[in-house]
Amino acid sequence: MLRLIIRRILMAVPILIGVSIIVFLLMSVVPGDPEAGLVPDDATPAERQAIRHQLGLDQPLPIRYFHWAVSALHGDLGYSTLRRREVSDLLQQAWGNTFVLAAVSAIFGIALGLLLGYLAGTRRGKVVDRVVSIFSLGGLSIPSFFLAILLLGVLSGQLRLFPSGGATFDEGWGVAIQSLVLPVLSGAMITMAITARVTRAAIVDVFSADFVETLRAKGLTEFGVRMHVLRNAISPVLTTSGVQIGALLGGSVLVETIFRWPGMGLLLYTAISTRDLEVVQGTTLVIALTFVVINLVVDLVQAAIDPRVRGAVS
Amino acid sequence: MTETFVPPLLPKSFGGGVDPVSRAAAERRKEEWNAAVESVKAQSFWIETGKRFLRNRTGVVAAAIVVALALSAIFAPLISPYDPLIGQPVDRLKDIGTPGHILGTDEQGRDMLSRILFGGRLSLLAGFVPTVAAAVIGTLIGVIAGMVRGVVGTVLMRFMDMLYAFPAILLAIAVGSALGPGLTNTIIAVTIVYIPPVARVAQSSTRRVVVQEFIEAARLSGASRARIAWSQILPNVLNDIIVYASGLVGVAMIIAASLSFLGLGSAPPAPEWGYMLNSLRGELFTTPLVTIVPGFFIFLTSVAFNLASDALREAMDSRL
Repeated sequence: MLRLIIRRILMAVPILIGVSIIVFLLMSVVPGDPEAGLVPDDATPAERQAIRHQLGLDQPLPIRYFHWAVSALHGDLGYSTLRRREVSDLLQQAWGNTFVLAAVSAIFGIALGLLLGYLAGTRRGKVVDRVVSIFSLGGLSIPSFFLAILLLGVLSGQLRLFPSGGATFDEGWGVAIQSLVLPVLSGAMITMAITARVTRAAIVDVFSADFVETLRAKGLTEFGVRMHVLRNAISPVLTTSGVQIGALLGGSVLVETIFRWPGMGLLLYTAISTRDLEVVQGTTLVIALTFVVINLVVDLVQAAIDPRVRGAVS
Repeated sequence: MTETFVPPLLPKSFGGGVDPVSRAAAERRKEEWNAAVESVKAQSFWIETGKRFLRNRTGVVAAAIVVALALSAIFAPLISPYDPLIGQPVDRLKDIGTPGHILGTDEQGRDMLSRILFGGRLSLLAGFVPTVAAAVIGTLIGVIAGMVRGVVGTVLMRFMDMLYAFPAILLAIAVGSALGPGLTNTIIAVTIVYIPPVARVAQSSTRRVVVQEFIEAARLSGASRARIAWSQILPNVLNDIIVYASGLVGVAMIIAASLSFLGLGSAPPAPEWGYMLNSLRGELFTTPLVTIVPGFFIFLTSVAFNLASDALREAMDSRL
């Protein structure tokens, strides 16, 4: 197991480097001069050149990447001239807020999805199955930002149940939990839908396996049989859960923007609309890295609980 | 003589000879062969799939909705009651059902129905074009990576893994914000997001096919790699890719709408549904029904695509 863990971590390193190269390249193809905001309009070409030299922009791309990556490793992601803050400072605050939102959404979505998928899979063809399949199709097809607006309109506008804007934990737990409800519902819907679908398929699949017959034949209660089935069906669900959390992290851009939840998504949105490139670059990098690490953790957890996965890898 | 379909690796000649008896026998063999080919064609995979698809009522309804949306988008200039870009500020924010404006008007007094019809063009383009483009490019990459072991295959797939390491919507946002707003850039962004997953599907299918005996046979018959890829591997991996890609159209549309919701998609005043939803967001508490119209259409289109894709998967899966 230890060897597997080390192996997996080593495999993640090239991915991490690749991700940082892609983020760096994307931001360096952005049209327009990065120094444009720093020089006056009447600057002479020589002055522009001086600024470019000072910022290291006259260096070739690989060298610029190297400098950028080395300072990123030291926790320095640049300075937002627009906000007059270190990008890493901005991200530190935002990361925590996004983490809370994504974690709550993931737990809620995956738990509910498991439950619905289990109910549908064990009652195949019955009413429950149909309702769950319609519900999960809807959840799969509804854009999170549309669901967010619907929830805002009904639960916040008409019924006045929840606040429309995000309040963080700095303003007290009660308010924060209240303002978490709508973002979690809108973000977790797709997680729930996909988890329910995958769980249902896995349960149906496992139920047709021979060992179920054996369990029944040895006189195990139906509940006992179902527990065995659930344990065997959990692996494909885990496989998708990594991707699900990634979708929540990415989707946070939309959900956080609508509910003004001060996380990385809102930070990225504001940075894009104000063309604050340093922040766009830093935020994209941190979200992508978080996703890679989560996938790594999911892989390891899966290997820990499922001997088949462990065998396939080592 | 009419040309009949003869699979390329089978003999074109059916024997024969100088004497009438053996010539007649050869002729008979040929007719039997053609009849067999015809009967196989009659129950060919695609016809069977089509039949099975038509038996699925949900799938047919979904496909009909897709066709209706496509037609209304294509003929938008003919059926739109108003210009989608010019509004009457006096008539702003009329509710749904106002005479003359069935779907109401937006915050600048533009007719919502006309904007929805024209917006359908952008949304459907943004759903279809990236899916098709990514299916073609991803298949190319996946088949190459699946056939060519060693450095080339590994490098290709590791590069795909790196793109795959981004959450889909984040990659689209990053590419979109690097390229700038506009429909073309949105399409490029979504295509880039979709290439890695398609390539993975194509690669794993290719590796399943490439070890089979008929590939060995084709290789022994002297076929070049390109020819094997085109005539032996591609037909065998295409089903997997079609099933997979058909499920992507709805999501592509949602990603594109998300980009324009964030101001990275089609530039205003183009009536893109996602952008419309965002610009009407401020009116949610005054005219809630008008506000949700664009979102409803995104939802409807995406449901229709997903249902049609599910039906297609079922119809194609039940092969014998």
